[in-house]
Amino acid sequence: MSKNKKSTFFDKDSAFKYLVVGSSLVVVIFFAMIFMMLLVRSYPAMANDPLMIFGSNWDVAAGIFGGAPAILGTLVSSAIAVLFAIPISLAVAIFFTEYAPRRIRTGLSVLIDMLATIPSVIFGIWGLWIIAPLVKTHIQEPIVSSIGFIPIFSGPAYGLSLFLASLVLTFMIVPIISSLSISLLSSTPVELREAMISLGATRWEVVKHVALPFSKPGIFAAIILALGRALGETMAVTMVIGNSFVWPFSSPSIFSPASTITSKIASELYEAIDVLHVSSLIELGLILLVITLVINSIARLIATRVSKRSGYT
Amino acid sequence: MRIFSRRAREKVVISILMMLTAVAVIPLFWIVGSIVWNGASVMSIEFLTSLPAPFGSSGGGIGNAIVGTLMINCFASAWGIPLGILTGIYLSEYASAGRLSFIVRSVVESLSGVPSIVIGLFAFTVIVLTVRHYTGIAAALALGLMMIPLVAKATEESMKVVSNDLREAAIALGIPKYNVTTRIVLSMAKGGIISGSLLAFARISGETAPLLFTSLFSFYWPTGIDQPIATLQVLIYNYAISGFGDWVSKAWGASLLLVMMVLVINVAVRMLGRKKY
Amino acid sequence: MAIKLETEKLSAWFGKKQVLKDVSLAFEEKKVTALVGPSGCGKSTFIRCLNRMHELNPDGRVEGKVLLDGENIYGMDPMDVRRKIGMVFQKPNPFPNMSISDNTVAGIRLSGEKSKADLEEVVERALKSVGLYEEVKDDLKRSGTSLSGGQQQRLCIARALAMEPEVILMDEPTSALDPASTSRIEELIRKLRSEITVIIITHNVGQAARISDMTAFLYLGELIEYGDTKEFFESPKSPITERYITGRFG
Repeated sequence: MSKNKKSTFFDKDSAFKYLVVGSSLVVVIFFAMIFMMLLVRSYPAMANDPLMIFGSNWDVAAGIFGGAPAILGTLVSSAIAVLFAIPISLAVAIFFTEYAPRRIRTGLSVLIDMLATIPSVIFGIWGLWIIAPLVKTHIQEPIVSSIGFIPIFSGPAYGLSLFLASLVLTFMIVPIISSLSISLLSSTPVELREAMISLGATRWEVVKHVALPFSKPGIFAAIILALGRALGETMAVTMVIGNSFVWPFSSPSIFSPASTITSKIASELYEAIDVLHVSSLIELGLILLVITLVINSIARLIATRVSKRSGYT
Repeated sequence: MRIFSRRAREKVVISILMMLTAVAVIPLFWIVGSIVWNGASVMSIEFLTSLPAPFGSSGGGIGNAIVGTLMINCFASAWGIPLGILTGIYLSEYASAGRLSFIVRSVVESLSGVPSIVIGLFAFTVIVLTVRHYTGIAAALALGLMMIPLVAKATEESMKVVSNDLREAAIALGIPKYNVTTRIVLSMAKGGIISGSLLAFARISGETAPLLFTSLFSFYWPTGIDQPIATLQVLIYNYAISGFGDWVSKAWGASLLLVMMVLVINVAVRMLGRKKY
Repeated sequence: MAIKLETEKLSAWFGKKQVLKDVSLAFEEKKVTALVGPSGCGKSTFIRCLNRMHELNPDGRVEGKVLLDGENIYGMDPMDVRRKIGMVFQKPNPFPNMSISDNTVAGIRLSGEKSKADLEEVVERALKSVGLYEEVKDDLKRSGTSLSGGQQQRLCIARALAMEPEVILMDEPTSALDPASTSRIEELIRKLRSEITVIIITHNVGQAARISDMTAFLYLGELIEYGDTKEFFESPKSPITERYITGRFG
């Protein structure tokens, strides 16, 4: 009969297929295990008091582990950073795609890429030793002494603060939003652009009425993606935020030292001994994981919809 | 009059854009500048090759941290790169429209968005809490896991650009699929995969958060991967926040070394990528 | 006349769309058979069913039989089928990561089986049979893609011939080439006729008349007419065929 070699189980062809499929499954299993392990190891804290992690007081000696200040710190510092980063990144993207001559464009894209590769801990040492003193004397002190009566700007002006963390985060996420926005803006259909130009529009009018509206959903996705990155950022934040539980309940000022989920874990886990302490920190990590995955899924959902839409046009 | 005001507005717009662009890129020059300014002065053969001096006394170096970073990176690459490449091959050549490929694709995407500290926590729970001591193995687990999505995506993308005509030509010759994949497609995608792996290596070289509670730190030469191991990244963090003058300047020196390493790899990959056939 | 390859009620689909309808055709051994027809008539799908390439398409489906020396290839190992039935494509596609000589023996070397053949000898023989050996013998280590388009296509034919196939399928092998390269390949096909069964798709009616012994005309997935090339062109039986060969198709 025919030489049907297809059915033998261990010929090289199927062996290679099993290897490739098996490796992919291992990756999937690892991903599932991240959830599993964090869930299992945070169980002591959840079993002890499921709502304690959302409390406002964190006192290791007293065995009280309320993570609300850290969770809020994470959300607020990232939100401020995104607000700062949006105008800067859009300006970079618009300048790049609409105004910059070719030579400057090559240089600029190299700089943006390089900025994105600087490790977080380097942003940290720079923020701690170079930026913190400058921010203290040139930003925080003048603001505190002029409009310090407004609670969120009240003093005293520490260098290390929620504000400084947001500022350093801003510089770290600008490359993300700008490089994605650049590719979106430059994919604006030429017909639309030319239609506008033929009406005698200036470049800015083309940007405002054609390029930006066209890229809006994609830019929105890029911003959400950057938000996800900011939420999970650890080293730079830990080094400049001051790691204190003053904010937001004792003082709502953005110039107070504060904490984030990541700074809490980074500064306490290696010396935590108490089971409840360890598992509370892991529970905070689990909360962070869930938040970032939701945020990233939203960004991806928008991005796929954008790419489908532009597939039709 | 109207034309003038529009032209004027255009000028205002340009200056605002240029100002904000400067705000975005100045930190790069500032960071690199301060690292060179503060770090270059501590550079010496002794700094690069000797152990840290005991706390409080000056002198000594960061030799063990350099070795430690390279050691953990190599262990991480040893499992992260192959697994990443195989996953990328699956996504490019074997994934059909089925459910498995959807899951693998989503997992690879999601994994790249998981904060590095959470990956570190995972390694901590799996290994450190089990063996009950800090170990470089946990660090290599975390960093390898971080490399997988980067390498997988680079592999998938560089295999996807290989023209389908060549796959068909090979299949029509009766070449079995594993050889079509490895000897034709993979071999043509080699450049992109090497670049992707190097970039992943550079990326984990700067990762600090997953090391804080896995490999921890050490003041001695590493004796094995299963021990606490000093790394450049954790050294920068520990020394920078110590406030002790000599340590802070050593942190700057270590930063200079780390940034040079990361940037050199990135520039090299960029130049490699330029000559394509 | 011996029949080498034969289809019985061969039908093929892309998803729900049927592109071949019950085509039954017998190819004679060591003859050149040309397949002609307007684009979209199913010639390419037909030829890709003959070496089991159509089924690689995610929504490609085949029904019916293809008999090689009386044995249905759809019951054989597809890799064996493709070694016995070689294929040359529309666009020359040498492997860019391989030298000229590696390209020539790629099929043998990567077949997954240990080969006892003297590869150097195979290279020489295959390249000589397509008339490329004299042109490239001094730089066999150069990349296959460094050759001109016509040379690349001859290299691809050599690559297929090196497998010593019994049948060779050609899907418009000259459509991407200049007239001079085209006539070299036509000459080569005429020469191959004495050694091997050739099935060639051509969009060029003149080419079919010049090089083939038999001609088949496909239209909208159906076989309209099949016969001796001379008769086919001098006295077509079907009015559709006549309209096609006299160039009255849009």
